[in-house]
Amino acid sequence: MSDPTGDAKLELKQASKEVKESENVAEKFSAMTVSKNSEMNMGELSTVFSAVPTHKPVKKQIQFVEDKQEFSRFPTKTGRRSLSRSISQSSTDSYSSAASYTDSSDDETSPRDKTQINSKGSSDFCVKNIKQAEFGRREIEIAEQDMSALISLRKRAQSEKPLAGAKIVGCTHITAQTAVLIETLVALGAQCRWTACNIYSTQNEVAAALSETGVAVFAWKGESEDDFWWCIDRCVNTEGWQPNMILDDGGDLTHWMYKKYPNVFKKIRGIVEESVTGVHRLYQLSKAGKLCVPAMNVNDSVTKQKFDNLYCCRESILDGLKRTTDVMFGGKQVVVCGYGEVGKGCCAALKALGAIVYITEIDPICALQACMDGFRVVKLNEVIRQVDVIITCTGNKNVVTRDQLDRMKNGSIVCNMGHSNTEIDVASLRTPELTWERVRSQVDHVIWPDGKRVILLAEGRLLNLSCSTVPTFVLSITATTQALALIELYNAPEGRYKQDVYLLPKKMDEYVASLHLATFDAHLTELTDEQAKYLGLNKNGPFKPNYYRY
Amino acid sequence: MSVQVVAAKMAEVELKDVLTGKDLPAESPVTPTSEGKNLIRNDPHEAGSSAATSPTAEPSAKAGEGSLGLLTPNTAKMPQGSAMKRTDPQQNGGEAFVNRDGTVAEAPRMKKIQFADQKQEFNKRPSKIGRRSLSRSISQSSTDSYSSAASYTDSSDDETSPRDKQQKNSKGNGDFCIKNIKQADFGRREIEIAEQEMPALMALRKRAQGEKPLAGAKVVGCTHITAQTAVLMETLSALGAQCRWAACNIYSTQNEVAAALAEGGFSVFAWKGESEDDFWWCIDRCVNVEGWQPNMILDDGGDLTHWIYKKYPNMFKKIKGIVEESVTGVHRLYQLSKAGKLCVPAMNVNDSVTKQKFDNLYCCRESILDGLKRTTDVMFGGKQVVVCGYGEVGKGCCAALKAMGSIVYVTEIDPICALQACMDGFRLVKLNEVIRQVDIVITCTGNKNVVVRENLDRMKNGCIVCNMGHSNTEIDVASLRTPELTWERVRSQVDHVIWPDGKRIVLLAEGRLLNLSCSTVPTFVLSITATTQALALIELYNAPEGRYKQDVYLLPKKMDEYVASLHLPTFDAHLTELTDEQAKYLGLNKNGPFKPNYYRY
Repeated sequence: MSDPTGDAKLELKQASKEVKESENVAEKFSAMTVSKNSEMNMGELSTVFSAVPTHKPVKKQIQFVEDKQEFSRFPTKTGRRSLSRSISQSSTDSYSSAASYTDSSDDETSPRDKTQINSKGSSDFCVKNIKQAEFGRREIEIAEQDMSALISLRKRAQSEKPLAGAKIVGCTHITAQTAVLIETLVALGAQCRWTACNIYSTQNEVAAALSETGVAVFAWKGESEDDFWWCIDRCVNTEGWQPNMILDDGGDLTHWMYKKYPNVFKKIRGIVEESVTGVHRLYQLSKAGKLCVPAMNVNDSVTKQKFDNLYCCRESILDGLKRTTDVMFGGKQVVVCGYGEVGKGCCAALKALGAIVYITEIDPICALQACMDGFRVVKLNEVIRQVDVIITCTGNKNVVTRDQLDRMKNGSIVCNMGHSNTEIDVASLRTPELTWERVRSQVDHVIWPDGKRVILLAEGRLLNLSCSTVPTFVLSITATTQALALIELYNAPEGRYKQDVYLLPKKMDEYVASLHLATFDAHLTELTDEQAKYLGLNKNGPFKPNYYRY
Repeated sequence: MSVQVVAAKMAEVELKDVLTGKDLPAESPVTPTSEGKNLIRNDPHEAGSSAATSPTAEPSAKAGEGSLGLLTPNTAKMPQGSAMKRTDPQQNGGEAFVNRDGTVAEAPRMKKIQFADQKQEFNKRPSKIGRRSLSRSISQSSTDSYSSAASYTDSSDDETSPRDKQQKNSKGNGDFCIKNIKQADFGRREIEIAEQEMPALMALRKRAQGEKPLAGAKVVGCTHITAQTAVLMETLSALGAQCRWAACNIYSTQNEVAAALAEGGFSVFAWKGESEDDFWWCIDRCVNVEGWQPNMILDDGGDLTHWIYKKYPNMFKKIKGIVEESVTGVHRLYQLSKAGKLCVPAMNVNDSVTKQKFDNLYCCRESILDGLKRTTDVMFGGKQVVVCGYGEVGKGCCAALKAMGSIVYVTEIDPICALQACMDGFRLVKLNEVIRQVDIVITCTGNKNVVVRENLDRMKNGCIVCNMGHSNTEIDVASLRTPELTWERVRSQVDHVIWPDGKRIVLLAEGRLLNLSCSTVPTFVLSITATTQALALIELYNAPEGRYKQDVYLLPKKMDEYVASLHLPTFDAHLTELTDEQAKYLGLNKNGPFKPNYYRY
């Protein structure tokens, strides 16, 4: 990896070529995912390949913030220790790239230089091409199918208009799922202005569809750094309109307003922040005593955490491995490093398919859980010679080192479900004696001098982002939580929320869950008055104390 | 069910000592009709054997409450169980007493102290439903079950109260009071068996023995006295502590274990079947001894703490720490702390992660199958089962049943748990939607009247109804005590309730806790609790001045992790260690704690 940037570009070119040639839809899909990933990686490369974010020249300082955020946004899938998550967002990328089929325009003009007007004569937006609105509408309608919770929220709350008067400025990925959220907020009475939190993730056709309906959207796929901040500024700085709510993902919008428009910032009624990075920034601000508005941390809600980690990984581990290697799981020996939520999900799925699963763990409590769930807890070195698949999900670095890779048997598969690309020491494989062979997109054979091959997936990056999809249902959980957090902050009586960062009240968590039950045709039992009295609970919840572990 | 028969018989013998007039008022809250029926249909074996072994019980019961007295001696036994502290689960009279009317408040005034116990009794029932209520400490209840089964040496005909006997152990020491010192050999064997399954305590002995972290500690304890506790006490002693011990329950003591401990030099004051008066006398003897002042308290239920707090306030002030296991005791401590009257630091070991997970999820996952098999020999494959409640207990039950090939439905009130059930592949329904088609109904909600008469009326023939949740409130058993329904006891703990049209419902353990009544609790689970207690004592005793103020603390996460790590060798599990580089990367200490406090596991 002497010239990572060049490498990535090459990969990108290769990938787009595949797109043109390929007839096969599945292949096309994965190819596009690749191209998407390599695009993303270009921004991320410096951080990724040095494993630690390096400091770029001062000139690029703002860019650096963006890069770092990019880096940090990779879901750790490992509990909530570090700054490194928000799967919904990354997953959105993957999804959007697959869906941006209208994107092959040869239009070289920057959207900033174009004058566009939607069918109602409004031009208060800036997107790639307003003509793509119809395509975007279709995307949104597909997303609506799987986001029934938001739709039912629309129905339930539409008459009350709980957000009437709310002026929401948002900075998230602009995808079909976000569009469903935005349109829900509008249906509940809010006025919205929106921008993208990532320069690559925007689905242009969705942005067009939103603009067509009158939402002021400033975003397109492939913004420059300058464009990025320009868009945010256009969102905030508009005559005769002052936002009173912020919905942020990553903290850039909050930061911008805090720095540039402190007077507007002071009048904000509440901030809703989704990503770990953003939440961390808010906590820092709060610690420094500079947070002058209440903020809501929706990242740590029970439902989001369980879905982002346990349930999501339980499905994506099989999907990712199948897509890339067509491996059969029955009877295979698999070692899963780490038994947190992600590890639990992976193990459950693999066990169900008849794989023999070993666990490595550092935390004795999680290790004991693994034992009780019927898994052998071992050290990696004890089983490294015999296993067929290694999956890392520790959130740590250098969990699988060159030493171990040397001792693996021929044909074993190595992949990472954990945090960024630090878990497998991939850099150690870039030595002259080893031959790398790319056999498929995201699949490398690393060949030892004696002919032994190790199959490395996604170059040690996150398997579930690179090689599998994230279901809309998961995004629906996040979006619903965000909508409810906005409603809660906006309608909270004076004094309920001070100038601090709050977790969503448990009751809201429960409400989010209840909105999603309809998907499963699940029928919740209601407490009788007598039973509620016996338990000392309100009939409508919250049902559990805050420290309940679920 | 031979185990239970033995248990019942043993308990019966003890009646002779305990059954006095003062136990009887507690019966009054029990509806005589329902209780009577209940009792009449006791297992014939139980009835027979107890009748044979304890003729004295009958007259006293008769004296206390006319019509009930005509029943088998079991009748007398049941209310008594309710009146006094926990007894073995087979006798579940306590539950009946406490819960049939929903409260315990009606207990007669004159029984004030007693009442405190009853309430505690009630509270000690494992809720198995998360940690909402005051209703848990399975280890304790389970200990009962275990101990009752194991007290095989107990059938002595000795009528003298241990208080009136002079006993000396082989070393000439007489500072103890137990049933019969001669049983020490038997007890030693029991203890050795328990040691096998309590590797963590044994490892702790070995690891810490060199340092003697409890050297100078004078621990006064009040817990169930069973083989498992004996292992704990001997561990404490090996770590340097001096121990004096009393029982926290008048029935749960394994006499032979107490004997073995006394023989080993421990000052133990406990025997099975103490009277209320004996109970407090034993506690007092533990505490009030010349030339010895305790500096640590290990309590289960809060009685000992309360006694010292009330009677020996000066001594109480000098205590370095209290370790409390039960929810009741913890609750009492929090109240004391709230009132500003807690002048020593206390440790709540009830809410440790390991204990909670083992008491609920893992334990119930095993006992649901065991309990159902033992009682009904049912085959699970393809059966339709509805599990009410998807907390830790519900999750355990569902996992086990699913693994056996059952079709599992879940009912829930909490949408988050409901969503978990959905994601785990269970159909979430209301009970009424599936009640006509299911073969088994299992309740584990912690709530009351989850299965009501109306539901029971609509069940199909042969449906099994049982309770894994909280006490006996979940199934409205009282509503089945009507004239048109016939009750038929087919096995111990198994009743057929027969409708006029011939439909039969199989009711297990009369709606009481299935896993306490009809299955065992593994020593391994008790080992977790005991290890946690030992570590809590060490932590409190060795903590530098000022680390713990006068408040109730949770065990530090690091200790929780240590408890878990001590149990890993049982599974031959090899924990991976962080390298320095990795620890730095994660910002963790190499030796833990590894997770933030709010981590959900």
